[in-house]
Amino acid sequence: MPRRGVWTVLTAITAFLALAQLMTGSSGNGPAALWGMLGDDVARQIVVELRAPRVLVALAAGACLGIAGCILQALLRNPLAAPEITGIGSGAVLGAVTATLLGGFSATPHGMIGTAIAGGVLGGGVLWVVAARAGSDPLRLSVIGVLISAVLSGITLILLTARPQSTGTMAQWLIGSLNGRGWAHWHALWPWLVLVLVAGLLIAPVLGLLSVDDDHARGVGLEPPRWRSAALLLAVVAAAAAIATVGALSFVGLLAPHAGRLVFGADHRRAIPGSALIGAATVCAADTVAQQLTTLAAAGERPLGIPTGAVTAIVGAVVLIRAARRLSTLTSGGQS
Amino acid sequence: MIDVPAVTGRRRLAPVVAVALSAVALAALALCLGQPVIAPGRLPAVLSGEASALERVMVVELRAPRLLLALFAGAVLGAAGLLLQESLRNPLAVPELLGVSSGAAAAVALVVVFGISVPGAPLVPALAGAAVGGALTIMAVRRAVGPAAVLLIGAAISAALQAVLLTGVSLSDSREQGVLVRYLLGSLTGTTWSTVVTTVPGMLLVLPLTVLALPALGVLRLGDDTATALGLSAGAARVAVLAVGCLLVATVVGPCGPIAWVGFLAPQLARSVRPGAEARSWLVWSTVLGALLVTAADLLARTLLYPIELPVGGLTALIAVVGGVALAARRRRFKDALA
Repeated sequence: MPRRGVWTVLTAITAFLALAQLMTGSSGNGPAALWGMLGDDVARQIVVELRAPRVLVALAAGACLGIAGCILQALLRNPLAAPEITGIGSGAVLGAVTATLLGGFSATPHGMIGTAIAGGVLGGGVLWVVAARAGSDPLRLSVIGVLISAVLSGITLILLTARPQSTGTMAQWLIGSLNGRGWAHWHALWPWLVLVLVAGLLIAPVLGLLSVDDDHARGVGLEPPRWRSAALLLAVVAAAAAIATVGALSFVGLLAPHAGRLVFGADHRRAIPGSALIGAATVCAADTVAQQLTTLAAAGERPLGIPTGAVTAIVGAVVLIRAARRLSTLTSGGQS
Repeated sequence: MIDVPAVTGRRRLAPVVAVALSAVALAALALCLGQPVIAPGRLPAVLSGEASALERVMVVELRAPRLLLALFAGAVLGAAGLLLQESLRNPLAVPELLGVSSGAAAAVALVVVFGISVPGAPLVPALAGAAVGGALTIMAVRRAVGPAAVLLIGAAISAALQAVLLTGVSLSDSREQGVLVRYLLGSLTGTTWSTVVTTVPGMLLVLPLTVLALPALGVLRLGDDTATALGLSAGAARVAVLAVGCLLVATVVGPCGPIAWVGFLAPQLARSVRPGAEARSWLVWSTVLGALLVTAADLLARTLLYPIELPVGGLTALIAVVGGVALAARRRRFKDALA
């Protein structure tokens, strides 16, 4: 397919999914319902004040996660790297949980992005320090990332016991949810999306060199450690902004760049915006499904707010298992 | 192969003595520390019933069963960790990354949230959940090749089941959350003799199964290709060992929740105590060291911030991951096994 065709198709899919999400909600599903709601003054408020920001937050968060994953996969030279398996995701979660416990400014959308970035820098920093000592073997790095994640989520869970009464809200948040996300969240999130998208595009050519090996980068006069830490910081910011806003939606940061690279190849100038687009579409679709499930489950005696993260985690797991199987059969000669 | 330095009698014996001494010391501390603190010298008097009723209740009715459960849970997790690690030849093949722990925890969460009455809850649903989680992993890995793929698939299933658990927690009301947090974290709080009576026999039943898994480990140690060339099925051996591992983990997660990452550190410790030994020897050491590890962690969880009780699973996650990495990072095997 020609380049432009791919972009058109992807944008169209994303727009369609965003529209589908806009048409979904507890006060009525489908195009007719949306049209009717827009005609009614009270119902229009639901669309403008609740649904529209929710769609925008979903798009922005998905895009941020896609960008973060894309940078990390290039940086660690590992097609299965993602914020949640580098320590960055769980660091951001730890930061944001701490913010919620502290309250005050740190618990506002802006404050939470700040503390999540701090936590993500902690996770990424540990990865960086340990990685410097452990050498640059990418496989080893991602294993270290898994372990850092385990420690940081251990701390997060211990913190949870400090305030048992808020366990429910925290859990919504550990898994990732768009329930109750409004304009305040969108206003806090979009500047970060613009920042990481622009910076990501600027850093893309270097990223392409780093993703091959350090000698290539040195060959054109770059200092790999400096660029690598800059790229890592960018990934941390992208992931933390999304996680602070919607919680730790798992697998989006893994699958979007994976799909992005399948479609756009190794050219990071295209893979970064491509991953952003696919990530945005993924979160929109996942939230639509989660809301539909919620409506279905509400027919029972107990209203159930199915979190968006439950959908991304389960769908993502199935896709990841298929990918791992295929990968393992492809490389079975070289394995073990 | 690696040259194993000749081990002198004294070097063989030293770790045995050290472990035995620390086991006795830990057990004594676990019985003595807490509120009220009981001087170790008075333990015989308390146990023989010559002390005050309060002291007797604290030691005999509360601390002793908890010590016992910690020992057995740790032993089972240590054994399970070694089986999983050896069968996948991967130091990161731990229950937390294979869908077993999170399967058990998710099942309990669902039972609590939906108020389903199950006989033997939370033990029975936890066992069922662990079995489902493990079975999902086993089924999903059947067509995959190589340890790295198995690990990745298991981690994916773990994450999905963890999502189910978290969904359950987020949907539950505040009364239920106290129970559910245990299944997020792992805890030995509130252990009594009746807990011990309902759980330890199950652990005693499944522990001998590890011995049956040893021949399968021997097959796997040859490597998949060599085993196939000899007409042995590496895949079947791996599934058998994984099944035993799942069963072991399930008996612990049911009553205690996921006491995380003990199955990572204990086998690492066992390997550094007996470098170059056979899997059989590591199995024994891993079992013993796992028991000591959980006992020590629970002692800390109970006393560190008294009267606040820390979740023991959170502590073991911190201790075991940091310790395990420190040990594993020195070993070439850690790197090689993941390739």
